[in-house]
Amino acid sequence: MTLPDTISDLLGIGGIAGDLVGALLGAVLVGSIILAQAAVAGPWAKRKITAAFTDRIAIDKIGPMGLGYIIVDSVRLLSKELIIPEGVDRPAYDIAPVLLAGSALLGFAVIPMGSGIQLADPEVGLIYVFAVASLASVALVMAGYSSNNKYSFLGGLRAVAQNLAYEIPLILTGISVVIFAGSLQMSEIVAAQSQTLVELGPIAIPAWYAILNPFAFVLFLAANLAEVGRNPFDLPEAGQEIVAGFQTEYSSVYFVLLYLGEFVHIFLGGALIATIFLGGPAGPILPGIVWFLIKIWGVFLLTQWFRSAVPRVRIDQMIEIGWKGLLVLAFANLFLTAIIVGVLPT
Amino acid sequence: MSLEQRDLDYGERPEGELDFDELADLLGDHVLDREQHVHTEGFVVRADEVATVLSKLKRRAGFDHMSCVTAQEYQDRYESIYHLKKYKDPTQELSIVVPTPSDNPTSQSGSGVYETANWHEREAYDLVGIEYDEHPDLRRILLPDTWQGHPLSRDYNQEKPQIVSLKQNPNPMQTKTRESGDSDTMFLNIGPHHPATHGVLHLKTVLDGEQVVDVDPDIGYLHRCEEQMCQQSTYRHQIMPYPDRWDYLSSGILNEWAYARTAEELADIDVPEYAQVIRTMGAELCRIASHLLAVGTFGLDIYGDFTALFMYTITDRERIENILEDLTGQRLMFNYLRLGGVAWDLPEPREDFFQKIRNFTAEFPESLQEYHNMLSSNEIFHMRVQDTGILPPEEAKQYGCTGPVARGSGIDYDLRRDDPYGYYDELDWNVITDDGCDNYSRAYVRLEEMRESIRIIDQCVDVLEEWPEDDREIQSNVPRTLKPDPDTEIYRAVEGAKGELGIYIRSDGTAKPARFKIRSPAFCNLQSLEVMSEGEYIPDLIASLGSLDVVLGEVDR
Repeated sequence: MTLPDTISDLLGIGGIAGDLVGALLGAVLVGSIILAQAAVAGPWAKRKITAAFTDRIAIDKIGPMGLGYIIVDSVRLLSKELIIPEGVDRPAYDIAPVLLAGSALLGFAVIPMGSGIQLADPEVGLIYVFAVASLASVALVMAGYSSNNKYSFLGGLRAVAQNLAYEIPLILTGISVVIFAGSLQMSEIVAAQSQTLVELGPIAIPAWYAILNPFAFVLFLAANLAEVGRNPFDLPEAGQEIVAGFQTEYSSVYFVLLYLGEFVHIFLGGALIATIFLGGPAGPILPGIVWFLIKIWGVFLLTQWFRSAVPRVRIDQMIEIGWKGLLVLAFANLFLTAIIVGVLPT
Repeated sequence: MSLEQRDLDYGERPEGELDFDELADLLGDHVLDREQHVHTEGFVVRADEVATVLSKLKRRAGFDHMSCVTAQEYQDRYESIYHLKKYKDPTQELSIVVPTPSDNPTSQSGSGVYETANWHEREAYDLVGIEYDEHPDLRRILLPDTWQGHPLSRDYNQEKPQIVSLKQNPNPMQTKTRESGDSDTMFLNIGPHHPATHGVLHLKTVLDGEQVVDVDPDIGYLHRCEEQMCQQSTYRHQIMPYPDRWDYLSSGILNEWAYARTAEELADIDVPEYAQVIRTMGAELCRIASHLLAVGTFGLDIYGDFTALFMYTITDRERIENILEDLTGQRLMFNYLRLGGVAWDLPEPREDFFQKIRNFTAEFPESLQEYHNMLSSNEIFHMRVQDTGILPPEEAKQYGCTGPVARGSGIDYDLRRDDPYGYYDELDWNVITDDGCDNYSRAYVRLEEMRESIRIIDQCVDVLEEWPEDDREIQSNVPRTLKPDPDTEIYRAVEGAKGELGIYIRSDGTAKPARFKIRSPAFCNLQSLEVMSEGEYIPDLIASLGSLDVVLGEVDR
């Protein structure tokens, strides 16, 4: 039972009106959960985590542990003047930020977050997530091309090259999980991981695909880093090289949207990893949604760790790693998984 | 005997000194006159024979290092002085003096022989007004293209302000950036405001895709007339604060020492040994601070963002700043050296001060290991910086590179050892070189140099601790007004954080120098960026720039 059904049942509204109200309220709820994460992550958590890695204190003046910055930063960013440079190609310039933030949010529609929070559960759930997440690449290209700035242009080109090189390994690795689970449906994939693999005394080790197929897990993590554009693969916006890449010419609300889009993308990546490798919302004692959030924050922490500690690779090296390394490994992983699943009895 | 002689350059005595008579014989009729400079001789040559003379000296007499070009205007003539040295032994110096008439100051360019002369002559043209024939690219370098007159020439009106508005400058955006026809290159301005230019540097870059076809550094945004200001100040007190502001990133004492050494040798001032030990210690602390920043920002260029490496180096640098603050009372602009010594003795209680340094030198090797872990044993870092930004030793010599840049190209050249001053020759330390010639080597050399500096500091503290209490003379007697003998010319250099920091002074018998010329190592090193980055990707260009460790305050002066 998906979230909209639960809501319409709860409100006692049936028919199309019930579907509509349920879907809207459900979307508002899911969107709020995710945006709250991004709002905490963007202005506060990111700074605090990076500071911890680099022996600093970071923000601590407003509110306890500087949490007040979440509000202060929102007001600051939203109240800035929106500067639209001469010669930008509208409406592409205006659509790009909305598309980037929107595409990432759309992906959450099919993610089962536990405690019954899942907006929809189509049979092609996994493919749907990959499809909407790829829309982000279009947004990056639009932003880079329409900004009428050479740095943006270079950033846009890099984004295309990077996404071409990494989307394929990402999807291939995701498909290897599908072979295990036998379904593209998100709920099925989660359900397939709920069995117990082995029991070591009182501790039951679940059959998460990260444990069943650690190779695929690592591959997916690596490809996902490139997909969300974080070190060592943060080339589309490599500050030291091309200023800010595709977002060079964006300010105020548009900048917030681009930034938000990136954070939501990291969380979407985390949600995907949690769902298809870490058993989704599964976990002892605490409710499912809490476990789910813990897992995606774990992935967020990992990306920030990489950001602080790993050098950025060069554009040609990144393409090389993608096409010559990850792609080959992803295919190898896919074939091996297919053979193992085909040969071994369930 | 004959074999040994073959190893010697023309005009070189077996004991490693120059035989100026033999050199004059080599040049024959080219030498019109011989002048006596402090430490060396100046050969006066004709303005149209510069290239011949220089190439003869380079090929036959082994002068492979053109340290600096000084230009100045006398009452009756202009003069360009080429300060030649040898990388193998920088004490073998020779000045080539090229006088040109006041009404037509045109002289042949030396840039065909030494690449580094290119920028030096552009600067001479810009500031003094000497024109160089056969120069490939004679245009202003420090001042805007629209500037009227040459500020260091005699008839220049220094009272008249010149304001060059942005509109008067050529706008690179308006010039045609796309060539017609087959060319599909892109012109890109990197800087003057860009996250990776380490100051206000403007790189005019031509790109083919992401590959650099051509890069032309445009400098001068931070030109503060440092030479002019020194010429208007008295030797004794007023000049010393300025060197702190050339390379303002914590290499203050190193810079001050360049002036102190030059002026002391010019006016024949003795420095008490005790003061030399303090200078040596302070200078090496500055070197570590400067290298830490260089390595940290280099990490920044490779890693992106303010990452762990940068923060750790800044934390360590902070400890050095604290020590230097105790010593000098300042954290950046020390103004601690005086002609004939240092400003004041070590802070009391001395034991606490020594303990503070000891703690630092004891703990620093551990931090250094951490930097090595993050740089030299990081595989992604290797991928990024090894075999990029290649600067072969021959090219490095051509461009007059010195300091860690030269030593990263395997050139064993360090003035602290080769042309000893201060207390260095009494101490046990090594010159670090690396044959890699790439961005990695330059960073590696800096890391290891810090280890050597720690050794030097430790030994200095040993010496200072043992120093008898009744013999702590920090300054020798120097006259209140210092007036060196008229018409004395001197060029002296010390090993600054970025390389050979040299100063040329000509005295005219007054209390202020008649000509004060700064040979900035970063200025010379920056010239080599072009050869390092052509054909490489933008990230490598940025990495090369970071590995050069230029400070624009020193480049533009």
